Amino acid sequence: MNGRTKGFNLLELIKKVVFTDFVKGLSITLGYNVSRSITQRYPDEEKWIPYRRWRGLHYLNRDAEGRELCVACELCSKACPTQCITVVPMEDDSGRGIADRVAKVWKVDLVRCLYCGYCEDACPTRAVRLGREYETACTDLASTVRRREELLVPQALAENIEGGVLVKSRLVRTPEGIKVEPDLRRHKKRSL
Amino acid sequence: MVTVKINGKEITVEDGTLILNAARDAGFEVPTFCYQADLIGIGSCRMCLVEIEGQKKLQPSCVTPVLHGMSINTESPTVVSARAGVLEFLLANHALDCPVCDKGGECELQDMVYRYGPHKGRHAEPKFKFHEKDYVLSPVIIKNSNRCVQCVKCVRVCREVVGANVLTSLNRGDHQEETSFLRSFLDCDQDGNCIEVCPVGCFMRLPYRYKTRPWDLKGADTVCPYCATGCRMVIEHRDGVVIRARAQLGVGLNSETLCARGRFGFDFINNPNRLTTPLVRKRGALEPASWEEAMGLIKKNFSVGGGKVGGIASPRLVNEELYLFQKLFRTVFNSPNIDSSSRWDPLAVESFVSAASMHEGGVSIFDCMASDTLLIIGSHLSDENPVTDYIVRRISANRRMNVIIASPRAMKLDSSATQLLRHLPGAEDSVLEAIILNLNYDKLPDETLKPVKDARLEALLSTAGALDKEIKAIARKLGASSTVAVIAGTDFLRAPQSIPALGLLKDLLRSRGKKVTVLPALDRCNQRGAWEMGVHPGFGPGYSRVDKKGLGCDGILAAAEQGELDALYIAGSDVASMYPDGEFAAKALSAVKFLVVQDIFLTETAKLAHVVLPGASFAEKEGIFTNQEGRAQIIRKLLPPPGKAKRDFDIIRAVGESFDPSFGPKNPVLVLDEIRKEAPMYGDVSLVFNNKKNIEDKLDNRAALVKGAQSAALKVSRIEPRADLGGAEQFPFRLVTGNHLFHSGMLSRMSSSMTGLLNAAVIEISEGDADALGLRNGDKVSVRGAACEAQMTLRTRKGSGKGMAFVAENFEDAPVARFFRRGKGAPRVAITKI
Ligand code: SF4
Ligand code: SF4
Ligand code: SF4
Ligand code: SF4
Ligand code: SF4
Ligand code: FES
Repeated sequence: MNGRTKGFNLLELIKKVVFTDFVKGLSITLGYNVSRSITQRYPDEEKWIPYRRWRGLHYLNRDAEGRELCVACELCSKACPTQCITVVPMEDDSGRGIADRVAKVWKVDLVRCLYCGYCEDACPTRAVRLGREYETACTDLASTVRRREELLVPQALAENIEGGVLVKSRLVRTPEGIKVEPDLRRHKKRSL
Repeated sequence: MVTVKINGKEITVEDGTLILNAARDAGFEVPTFCYQADLIGIGSCRMCLVEIEGQKKLQPSCVTPVLHGMSINTESPTVVSARAGVLEFLLANHALDCPVCDKGGECELQDMVYRYGPHKGRHAEPKFKFHEKDYVLSPVIIKNSNRCVQCVKCVRVCREVVGANVLTSLNRGDHQEETSFLRSFLDCDQDGNCIEVCPVGCFMRLPYRYKTRPWDLKGADTVCPYCATGCRMVIEHRDGVVIRARAQLGVGLNSETLCARGRFGFDFINNPNRLTTPLVRKRGALEPASWEEAMGLIKKNFSVGGGKVGGIASPRLVNEELYLFQKLFRTVFNSPNIDSSSRWDPLAVESFVSAASMHEGGVSIFDCMASDTLLIIGSHLSDENPVTDYIVRRISANRRMNVIIASPRAMKLDSSATQLLRHLPGAEDSVLEAIILNLNYDKLPDETLKPVKDARLEALLSTAGALDKEIKAIARKLGASSTVAVIAGTDFLRAPQSIPALGLLKDLLRSRGKKVTVLPALDRCNQRGAWEMGVHPGFGPGYSRVDKKGLGCDGILAAAEQGELDALYIAGSDVASMYPDGEFAAKALSAVKFLVVQDIFLTETAKLAHVVLPGASFAEKEGIFTNQEGRAQIIRKLLPPPGKAKRDFDIIRAVGESFDPSFGPKNPVLVLDEIRKEAPMYGDVSLVFNNKKNIEDKLDNRAALVKGAQSAALKVSRIEPRADLGGAEQFPFRLVTGNHLFHSGMLSRMSSSMTGLLNAAVIEISEGDADALGLRNGDKVSVRGAACEAQMTLRTRKGSGKGMAFVAENFEDAPVARFFRRGKGAPRVAITKI
């Protein structure tokens, strides 16, 4: 404590009389009222497209000729710290894959996945990648396991699409349930 | 002994020790590719280079013996860089397709490069490729030469151990490819030893192809369930499906080797036709039922005391189960009618056990191989006990010893014999007696020799179909040896009149102060165990005396046929397929008032049962197998029994308990304690699981050999020979039977790998006989006997004896059992082309 607080402080009094703090507070509130909104109106109006480095739902790649890149070497499942990938190989020399060894089963249990990306690092053929799909919420546990067949379907966000943007989106009703449909043509850059 | 310095550490080793082994003894690791203890060193891969003080060049330690005073460095900078250099060159043309290769994860090249290798290659040139696609070498082997490190182990194991000699090195330099001649399809033993020794992914199992990575497998140490050689192996499953059996270097008497049955024949475990629920006969058909219902029926129909009941247990059950089985009959059902073989006469078995001195305790094959003379008689060892054949070949090649093979059929092992005798089938007695006559028996006490004295050499030679000089030469060799080993096979049990001569020869040689060991060569994994557990109508556990002798399989069936048998409990035996007179067996089994069959498949026998109980395969239980040498070895459980099936131990115990709640012991461990008490042979047998890697080829775990029985109630009986079935004019060939190289009993028929190798019966005759009949290898022929006719494919074999036709007993389409007639001798057959 110093001496000043003991005596009469004129400055403090004036501040109180003209509501300085109140005005300060109010100006912040008013400022937000007029500034641009930072709320993402997800999912029914807009959707955040993550950067390319984003680690979301896995997908399995094909080469230019459409052959599966995965040779079912099981290195991803070995590298996975949560052991959520299961790979069962099989022989198929019909040209389905780049080698005669292909995956009979390739599945990942998203409940256990921690999206560390070790699997993509381990993959010798760059077959498995973590994509930018993050809408994995579901109502039953069984659909948290994603299988090869689903993962081989290209994700909506192709690699060449720049990320870090918000795009327009809308909710659509599909036979599988309600989906968010982003409109990738119209996006606005916004830094967060 | 010499003393050398390795990396500054002094060590004293025996003369002639390889630097490699001295270094390993001293605790230093030296990497190798081409070295393997049981193969002849060739020093080709240069991984094992070491520096010897005073020598400018590095030396391959796997072929260089130590010299006194040597100072060796295994870790000097030159050695380290030489190793890396060797690996860099190996990788220069290597495909580096580890992600696809089945060996990935357990590959010696991966491990070596990881540890010693340059982690960067400097070769920018395009790699040389032998071929684009893996090529199939046989129904079980697939090959990729692009990964080869040219260690030549595959070629060497095939030549030196297996003796098939079908692999070679094509071309030279970096184009050297170890494969079959012209990469053609292999018509060989299909044992896959080339796969097991290959350090990389060149030779690979076809049934295991692209199924898993080694780290996904869960394994259990076990013993092969086929023949009685008792090969140690590991079976491994992924997600409940057993997909691989492998042998381990330096573990078990077989080390890294197995035969085709052992390595590929395990897949009956996951055969979809396995029994998974008890079946009960209702309105004439077998229908799924609950255990309570099945047990209730057994309780109702088996009488304790009064009625006549019998039991036949398979020699593929473990000792604990067999012991409990005989206890169930002897103490609960008060019946001495038990047997463990559907093929052999109990009297013959007792005589054989005695003649082969099995009651004197275990005999190590390695001791046999250390003797001066080895006589193999009554066994087609190469097909019946392939790994025993490997051991004989491998060891006899490296020491001076006589190997005498007396057999009507030519076999692979013939090439290792120092003397061969082709005798007529079933004439082992004449051969042995002729040898005995030549051994100057006069010095012996009279009594034992009575039967021999009367025999005339001349007559013997003609019934044996042997030459005097051959017999004389054998007798001379036996007479001149101080240690003699005899491998006596199951042909003695098929032609039991030969057994006394075997006992006599042994006694005679022993009385001359020679050390004689007899190794019985048996064809069921736990046949010896079954006998030693007392599953025999004439003796109890440990060959002990029993108060009441009972009926064996034959007697049981005879009683059944007369309608005198109230109940029969068959555990694991396929009597209907294996009893030598199939028709009679089927009739007898159908006449049993109440037949319980416990098995893992719905066998021909099980189809006749009133109650079928689903048992467990060797992969689904723990227990002890006693191999032919008398080595007690533990098998471990890998999987639970399928469906509602149960361990055979639990079933037998439950049956016992339903009559006598105190029946036990209640678990296998306690049973083992009781076995140790009741059968003192097992008293201090060590079951410490010998699964330690032992690269130095010391494979003889002697603590596992059973001891001699104190009081054995055994005697050798003379069994009169039976007349052949069918006349010689009409039926020129005498039918000889046994197991095929790819099959063992009926069990291997449930393995798809084994049936893929051979699924239909073949008849084998000598090349000479075939020529005389105008027949050729591969012809379809009709085989006609007095009792049966069947169609088969003809195989000719060079060097086999005349007038003999071999048909394996493993096929239902040409059932050997039906050529036989109860009470008659060997059937004769005629072969005609169709
Ligand atoms: S991201 Fe990580 S946790 Fe998820 S599957 Fe890949 S390795 Fe496993
Ligand atoms: S995704 Fe890659 S790492 Fe995983 S099994 Fe396939 S090829 Fe191997
Ligand atoms: S399977 Fe056996 S016999 Fe055939 S090539 Fe291989 S080692 Fe030789
Ligand atoms: S195929 Fe295998 S065992 Fe044979 S030489 Fe090549 S690496 Fe060695
Ligand atoms: S069948 Fe006999 S020789 Fe072959 S692996 Fe089995 S135990 Fe060994
Ligand atoms: S291990 Fe010595 S040269 Fe191959």
